[in-house]
Amino acid sequence: MVLKCTGIPTNEDLERVFPSKERLEKGPIVVVECFQRIPCNPCHTACSKNAIKEFDDINNLPVVEEDVCNGCGLCVSKCPGLAIMVVDMTYSEKEAILKIPYEFLPLPEEGELVLGLDREGKAVDKVRVVKVLNTKAMDKTPVLFIAVKKEDIKRVRNIKLQEKEKKFQTACCSDLIEKNSKLSKDTVICRCSDVTLEQIRGLIKKGYTTFDEIKRISRVGMGPCQSRNCGQLVLREISQMTGTPISKLMLGTYRPTTKSIKLGEIAEAVDGGEHND
Amino acid sequence: MIKTAEVVIIGGGISGSSIAYNLAKKGVKNIVLLEKAYLSSGATGRCGAGIRQQWGTEMNCRIAKLSCDFFERANEELDYEEDIEFKQEGYLLLSSTDKEHQQFIKNVELQNSLGIPSKLLTLEEAKEIVPFLNTEGLVSATYCEKDGHLNPFHATQAYANAAERLGVKIYKFTEVTGILIEQGKIRGVKTTKGNIATNIVVNAAGGYAQLIGKMVKLDLPLYSERHQILVTEPMETILKPMVMSFSLNMYCQQVPHGGVIMGRGDENEPRDFRITSSWQFLDEMTTTVTKLLPPLKNARLLRQWGGLYNMTPDRQPIYGAVDEIEGFYLAVGYSGHGLMFGPATGLLMAEIILQEECTIPIDMLHLNRFRKGELIFEPSVV
Repeated sequence: MVLKCTGIPTNEDLERVFPSKERLEKGPIVVVECFQRIPCNPCHTACSKNAIKEFDDINNLPVVEEDVCNGCGLCVSKCPGLAIMVVDMTYSEKEAILKIPYEFLPLPEEGELVLGLDREGKAVDKVRVVKVLNTKAMDKTPVLFIAVKKEDIKRVRNIKLQEKEKKFQTACCSDLIEKNSKLSKDTVICRCSDVTLEQIRGLIKKGYTTFDEIKRISRVGMGPCQSRNCGQLVLREISQMTGTPISKLMLGTYRPTTKSIKLGEIAEAVDGGEHND
Repeated sequence: MIKTAEVVIIGGGISGSSIAYNLAKKGVKNIVLLEKAYLSSGATGRCGAGIRQQWGTEMNCRIAKLSCDFFERANEELDYEEDIEFKQEGYLLLSSTDKEHQQFIKNVELQNSLGIPSKLLTLEEAKEIVPFLNTEGLVSATYCEKDGHLNPFHATQAYANAAERLGVKIYKFTEVTGILIEQGKIRGVKTTKGNIATNIVVNAAGGYAQLIGKMVKLDLPLYSERHQILVTEPMETILKPMVMSFSLNMYCQQVPHGGVIMGRGDENEPRDFRITSSWQFLDEMTTTVTKLLPPLKNARLLRQWGGLYNMTPDRQPIYGAVDEIEGFYLAVGYSGHGLMFGPATGLLMAEIILQEECTIPIDMLHLNRFRKGELIFEPSVV
């Protein structure tokens, strides 16, 4: 029940999918934290050893042949739910290796010390990034090899970059824009309507303090991107200049259509009677 | 927030902003403008932004001409540091039946008598203005080169800035929740940010004007009707004038930045203040416009939105005081033409409130016309 409500497996849930102690001592092996029956099988098709058996019913949970799996990790980046990792207890006397999928940017560097997080996102301990794999075949789901204390292998499941992430955030703050980055007052914030950072700031100074007001007076967000690119940037400027937390600011109105379409195409569809009711 | 005011104007669209400016210009102090969202967030900012003088009633013609003349010099008169983007590239109105053609003949005669330079055109002459016009099913056209288009956000802001320089206080994101009356006289307004004592309230609430009326137990002959608009991605300039057809119930114009704006009405729309977008509108609009203006088949739909026409039974606005409530004034019911009437609305309402002689005699647009049944219907509305 806890798993269903929170998405976080309990120790009991984990025991059901974790390999036996004996198997862990033999070498790397996959751990598939897949608890919900859904129609999904890329873990099976990814495995060159057929260690994750073919599904009788595609809704079934994956079954791992512990003796066949060699912990190669091919399946880790293939799981759309990021539910798979590899554990290698034979790495060193005190440390084990976890191979985990990681879809955040920036990626850590090899050798970097990062914060190990548990399944709720709470800090566990510092862990070391041993290897970063990010090949084309992984299709933007890189795999990190992290060295963790052996007693933590059932707790650590993700990592958080420390100093680097902080830098990444502050680089977005407008007071540092001129100092730290290539952004300047001439930087175009709205690429559909060519509105610059300086123009946006000028409008906020004049008292336009909602996205929709700035949109109407400057055409920001009225172009094909429908504010997907500029919306957050403008909100950040409003937040910076008015002191209102960004979470309290109103997003602009999103309008149909999502994607531009020729008027003739709509009219033809009407003529063809394809969606008249 | 301020506690007392000489005049409280409800509504931060073109009408409210123009009334505030005109009153302040005539020397009234302590004017407050209340807007529940931001300036031009309602019908003003959602409209097709066309400015036309080709009307079918004398009142609408005169009000429109007075307003159009003002828009020509608005940037200077209002000392606006930007531009209201008023472009006079004409309106081409199309008739589809002989009855409509006969009406056009009468309209042009009326318009010319009031100094509006409109012309009756044959379809061949219409094609000289819009060469790709599909004239199938059309009978004739009228054209006025002085009609045009402007930017409603800037026009409203121009009025608001000028008003503020004259001392008007504008409260955005401040919604009126009630109106205080004692013995048939206005005493104040209640808002989400506190009460303001005042003897004069002007209802310029656009699509929500009847709700403000209800606050003083007045059942105004108004309803709000959703009208939808779409705009295409910018393209090379191919269409100069606004093209409009009452039979086809549509209008279409390419605006200065290159996008083509078009809209249509539907009198079967629900009258429940909804301003959501519907796919039925896309079907009807694209079918109609691509038949009339075939090159627009290749224009790409960018955005779609809706807004409210505040409709009166005779499609002319209601201007003036309300007999039974001292201090309560109406500037409502533009039936889709509030933006283009904005300058006249401000001037005339200021004159009415200050009991001056009106630039245009507008007694016949008083609320009492509905009580007496003295209606003159405007035939030319989309």
